[in-house]
Amino acid sequence: MSVAAVSLSNVTKRFGEEVTAVDAIDLEIADGEFFSLLGPSGCGKTTTLRMIAGLEFPTEGSIQIFGEEMGIRPPNKRPVNTVFQSYALFPHMTVFRNVAFGLTMTGVEGSERDRRVHEAIDLVQLSGMANRSPKQLSGGQQQRVALARALVNRPKVLLLDEPLGALDLKLRQAMQLELKDIQQEVGITFVYVTHDQQEALTMSDRIGVMSHGRLLQVGSAEEIYESPVSRFVADFIGETNFIEGEILTGGEVRLANGAVVRARTRSGPGSHVTLTLRPEKLNINAPGTTFPDDRCVLQGTVQRRIYYGDALYYEVDIGTVIVDVMVENRPGIIRYAAGDQVVLDFHPEAAEALTE
Amino acid sequence: MTDLAEFEKVEVSPELEQKAERDKARRGLLTALPSYVYLVFFFAIPLVVVFIFSFASRSRTGRPVLEDWNLDSWIGLIDPLFASIAWRSLWLAVVNTVLCLLIGYPFAYWIATRRRPTTRNILLILVLIPFWSNFLVRTYAWRTLLDVDGLVTRLGEATGLWGQLLFTAPAVFIGLLYGYLPFMVLPLYAAIERIEWSLIEAARDLYASGSDAFRKVTLPLSRPGIVAGSILVFIPSLGAYVTPDILGGARTTLLGNYIVTQFGAARNWPFGAAMSSAILIVMLVATIYYFRSGAKTL
Repeated sequence: MSVAAVSLSNVTKRFGEEVTAVDAIDLEIADGEFFSLLGPSGCGKTTTLRMIAGLEFPTEGSIQIFGEEMGIRPPNKRPVNTVFQSYALFPHMTVFRNVAFGLTMTGVEGSERDRRVHEAIDLVQLSGMANRSPKQLSGGQQQRVALARALVNRPKVLLLDEPLGALDLKLRQAMQLELKDIQQEVGITFVYVTHDQQEALTMSDRIGVMSHGRLLQVGSAEEIYESPVSRFVADFIGETNFIEGEILTGGEVRLANGAVVRARTRSGPGSHVTLTLRPEKLNINAPGTTFPDDRCVLQGTVQRRIYYGDALYYEVDIGTVIVDVMVENRPGIIRYAAGDQVVLDFHPEAAEALTE
Repeated sequence: MTDLAEFEKVEVSPELEQKAERDKARRGLLTALPSYVYLVFFFAIPLVVVFIFSFASRSRTGRPVLEDWNLDSWIGLIDPLFASIAWRSLWLAVVNTVLCLLIGYPFAYWIATRRRPTTRNILLILVLIPFWSNFLVRTYAWRTLLDVDGLVTRLGEATGLWGQLLFTAPAVFIGLLYGYLPFMVLPLYAAIERIEWSLIEAARDLYASGSDAFRKVTLPLSRPGIVAGSILVFIPSLGAYVTPDILGGARTTLLGNYIVTQFGAARNWPFGAAMSSAILIVMLVATIYYFRSGAKTL
């Protein structure tokens, strides 16, 4: 296996005695990978990124970039560049001088520098804006300048700290695709920090989910969404239902309302578990419907129907908890009303029984 | 839905918006009015009076006479004595401004980069504490320190580095530096504190060393503070006369005490008025030019 682009081993960052921002993280990010660190604010993802950039130094542990130990090497001596959350464009310089800054500092001068700066400005589709001041640009354009300013140096790893956070939804979605395209075009490793799970799911090759300074799960978008390792991960990524239960000797799960269902699990008989079941994995049916043997079934009563436009959401009381069910809004679907008796069914592969 | 309908009934017409704007402007004027009145009566009008006096003539006893208007006083400014005094004052003001900047900048930077707001505030209060006592009193305190047997003198003698400084040029500079340093530190602090730290981090991330980041980012962005601080120190330094008199022993004539002399012992009000007006005009033009050049880079 080739050497990892970024390798963290046992990286810990404490601020003072009390606060542990990052708690013993082990992580390997492969060359050319689009890797996202995902978590709620204050989970330590930005601190982790800043430690890779050299803007903070780990209290413990080691950070390697392409096999080279970074130690307390200052940011200007590291082969990485950062796109900052607030863009951090130099307000007293034009777009051109902003983008040229890194090259000037490394002694790239004259026509070589000009060529590369214009290439980078073209790459982010800002041709013709080189002589503007950052203040004259929109948020989206400023974001592109920040990107060009980092990419022009051809870093081995590009670090992005919630770069789309300040943009409105439409622009953010467009920029997500553009970022992914640019990443594939330049072929460098992206380490992307975000609290937006949708953003992480659509862009990343792999995602690392963080909470309270710890890395809970690392995997592809599909792995994280389909088989979360903990209740936190299941809850943070997408929407889900949690149903308490207990594993029986046969491997089935007995839920609190008495129903016995099958689910994927890594726990042995007797353990207390939480079943996570996503709303779109459940079907809603009229009472008396018959199901094939491989389906699991739950009885319930509709409490509420919520119209979402592209989908209908039902809140179904299954006796112990309310379960959300999503039904795609297609022509001809049966609509149930509050008070209706219904039967929910799902495939055992769709449910994951978690102990954490 | 009814709420929304109610809300839409109150249509915001352009006239209504204009009225609101006008009301706002009027309220703004009202709050500023006391300051305007004060400045006009006690600042603008006296300056105009000074300007008028510069064209007046003198009676035989030296009393200013408000007739026989002439340009004699202004022509009198073209004089080698006045030029040498102006030159000396200018030099003193420039040196003091540079000294204040060199000492004030690192200090302001240090205060502005303290992480805790309480620490920053305490340090700022320390900068301001000297203003709680009278400038004259503080200058006399320096006189004691610099005099024979004064603390500073003894320290110098003990180390063999300096003797009695009172009534020497260094004493004047110590006094001016002490007096005007806060005027440099405060605007510098305000400018540096406003600089987003992420800009310096971005520079460091883009391969700038610590000193590169300072030269390329911190320094240019703190320029408004440098400009404001320099003006605040330079202008009073140019007209300083209390400090040179008390600590310099009034041995050298500077613009400040030369003007005072015209209104006192020399009994030549028109000439003093012409000198004051000339300095005012030169300073005004220079300040406007300096501010413009400072603003351009931002």
